[in-house]
Amino acid sequence: MIESPAANTAKAESGFGRFSFSFRDAGTLIGLVIIVAFFATLVPGFLSERNLINILQQSSINACLALGMTLVIISGGIDLSVGPTAAISAVMTATLLVSGIPVPLAILAGLGVGVVCGFINGVLVAYVGLQPFIVTLGTLSTYRAVALIYTGGNPVLGIPAGFRSLFNGTIAGIPIPVVIVAVVAVITWVLLKKTPIGEYLLAVGGNEEAAYVAGVPIARTKITAYVISGALAALASLILIGRLGAAEPILGNLWELDAIAAAAIGGASLMGGKGSVVGTILGAIILGTMRNGLTLMNVQAFYQLLATGLIILVAMMIDRATRGRE
Amino acid sequence: MSALLAGILHAWEDAMTNAPRLRFEAMVKSFPGVRALSDVSFDVMPGEIHGLLGENGAGKSTLLRILSGVFKPTSGSIFVDGEPVSFRTPMDSRAAGIAMIHQELQQVRHLSVAQNMFLGHPLTSLGGVLVARREQERRAAEALAMIDPGIDPSAPISSLKVAQRQIVEIARALLDRAKIIAMDEPTSSLTPSEFDRLAEVISQLSASGVAIIYVSHKMDEVFKICQRASVMRDGRLVGNVDLSSVSHHDVITMMVGRALLQEDHVSHATNTVKLEANNLSSATKIRDVSFRLHKGEVLGIAGLVGSGRTELLRLLAGVDRLSAGTIAVDGKTVDLVNPRAAISIGIGLVPEERKREGIVPGRSVTNNMALASLGSFAKGGVIRKSRLRDTAQDLLRRVNLRPFQLDRPIRLFSGGNQQKAIIARWLAAKSQILLFDEPTRGIDVGAKAEIYHLIEALAADGHSIIVVSSELPEVIRLSDRVLVMRDGRLAAEIARTDLTEGAIVAHAIPGVDRIAAAAS
Repeated sequence: MIESPAANTAKAESGFGRFSFSFRDAGTLIGLVIIVAFFATLVPGFLSERNLINILQQSSINACLALGMTLVIISGGIDLSVGPTAAISAVMTATLLVSGIPVPLAILAGLGVGVVCGFINGVLVAYVGLQPFIVTLGTLSTYRAVALIYTGGNPVLGIPAGFRSLFNGTIAGIPIPVVIVAVVAVITWVLLKKTPIGEYLLAVGGNEEAAYVAGVPIARTKITAYVISGALAALASLILIGRLGAAEPILGNLWELDAIAAAAIGGASLMGGKGSVVGTILGAIILGTMRNGLTLMNVQAFYQLLATGLIILVAMMIDRATRGRE
Repeated sequence: MSALLAGILHAWEDAMTNAPRLRFEAMVKSFPGVRALSDVSFDVMPGEIHGLLGENGAGKSTLLRILSGVFKPTSGSIFVDGEPVSFRTPMDSRAAGIAMIHQELQQVRHLSVAQNMFLGHPLTSLGGVLVARREQERRAAEALAMIDPGIDPSAPISSLKVAQRQIVEIARALLDRAKIIAMDEPTSSLTPSEFDRLAEVISQLSASGVAIIYVSHKMDEVFKICQRASVMRDGRLVGNVDLSSVSHHDVITMMVGRALLQEDHVSHATNTVKLEANNLSSATKIRDVSFRLHKGEVLGIAGLVGSGRTELLRLLAGVDRLSAGTIAVDGKTVDLVNPRAAISIGIGLVPEERKREGIVPGRSVTNNMALASLGSFAKGGVIRKSRLRDTAQDLLRRVNLRPFQLDRPIRLFSGGNQQKAIIARWLAAKSQILLFDEPTRGIDVGAKAEIYHLIEALAADGHSIIVVSSELPEVIRLSDRVLVMRDGRLAAEIARTDLTEGAIVAHAIPGVDRIAAAAS
């Protein structure tokens, strides 16, 4: 007459458990579809191929940062220093390019700067034992100061065309920055879903103490996350200076907030242990779509900011409501 | 006339004393798709200590949560002293004189003992503006003095051992002057002497008219403390028993719905030394501990909570560092700098606090199993799903995981099945030395027997096993040999043939061995 309670809960919960990851991504996708449909009805030409590619291109820098941010957030941390990291990398790379260093070397040096910045964050978190928020709050100012001091506060101008064409071209009609970020996204997805490092990130963020007892290399795992975040911030800066042709030491201001927002909309939990590469990419595209659509509707910047803020809050409330009691 | 009056008075008194302090009537609680409680009714009289028994998932916790105002019942009523009550919040329940002592301690780690005891209703001065810390600590000390005067009310709660924190919870109920106290496995981390003290406190409480509901998996305790018990299974009340007229075995059979076999101990110990510890000391607790663990042996470690048992296991598992001494595995001295190093040598720890140190709650049972040996599933840096799945199928079946759903998040499994997954973790890592810290803490009777069988099967397989346990019957059931610890040192080694609860207690408690020696 009455089913055994144990068997019943098992059925219900396992269904939820197995599909929860893709459920969450599907939710983000539905959100994106609704937003696209909204603008498609109000803005003529919104759905044109050119505009859609435009949205992807505009989202690519934030998506690049947000991928690194997602890994850091999954590990239970946060990286507030991505903007200044990008700035140091940008001014260093630009200076090298202007002084005539070959393009591949300059790119490597730029990415190397990002790796070093991330490594410093990681060591301070993992070995010194400071809280991630505080560490990257400190390096947020420190790295920015380094970029400003290095350039004397002036932009580095005259980036050679050879470098610019690398980031401004298209492959099969798709802008190169979009292709680069797509490749990075695939690599990140594999890293998170298919490699021991990904599982370690999820374990460290999910329960650091249990992960330690189970032999997970805690420090190495955390440092890896910050190093990737730093490297991707540097990559984002290269995309940007390729587009602009100049590197400003104040570049990347508030980038960290957009990156965190994209990761959170995509399902990353700031408590750690949870996050999705697919979700983060969709989250970055949602933010890009909002900005693009509102600009095309000639909405003032103040109201764009308002709309972006509300989207983040609404997304999180829907997330909370559909997750149920835990 | 006066005889009539006396008669009426007498009847009235009778009625008063016979009114149950607490009465559940036809309690039903449904969750979407699940009926957690079906038509549960029973009474608890003033001064009665009433056992509430059942396996995990039998509905005990649901009933207690309704009593404490966390859940609202779907139907049914609760009466306190004959008056119907209904609680919308835990505060309502508390105001009605009901105190709940949870198995999972609900305390704020950074606050002091006294602050925790007055959490939510602090004593204040200056008309509610300032917290009267001194007064709180004085009153807390009074309540604590009844159970454990050794606890300093101004100490941070995080500095206390689990057992002491449990005592603080009980003292808090005393402070509330509760007339109904529900205790959910209050002794799951107490030692025998602490239990005796708790039993005294409980009988004091009951003598003053407090009704006590006592949930425990330990039959000995229930029979010692309680007069009556209600037994639940699958959300129903299976029976109300007078404990003086039934046996342990009867009650367990009612709980499980089938009889559990009593089994004899079989030793698989060999003479090959697997691990040798020489003069181990640590900054935490351990002083000059030496012993040998053989291949196929189950070595029990007994002692009071705080005697250094857990700390010793943590040294062997590489979680804490040695300050002096050496550890050799297979005759070779090893340096256990961290758990990773210990795991690579083949040592695995099944920790006491499963939620905190064992599982990654959101990950699947398969991923939790594989966490210590991910490298072995990877090829070219990428984890091979099929290899992982095959191993999970094999090992999780071997430990009899239930339900057998390999992708289900581990937090949705019962404690017993989480424990099985942790054991499978060390099988996957091919660990030869397994360290169990309180292997059946918070695990129900049925799963407990399964864990015992697993440990025995592992020993038969040639694994070397150390079991730390506060439950003496468990130590005796499992061990080929028992080491007794006291104040961080080894107090005694007891061979299987001399193994009795009395022998262990005599060595575990300071002074008792001398008394015992003098008596013999």
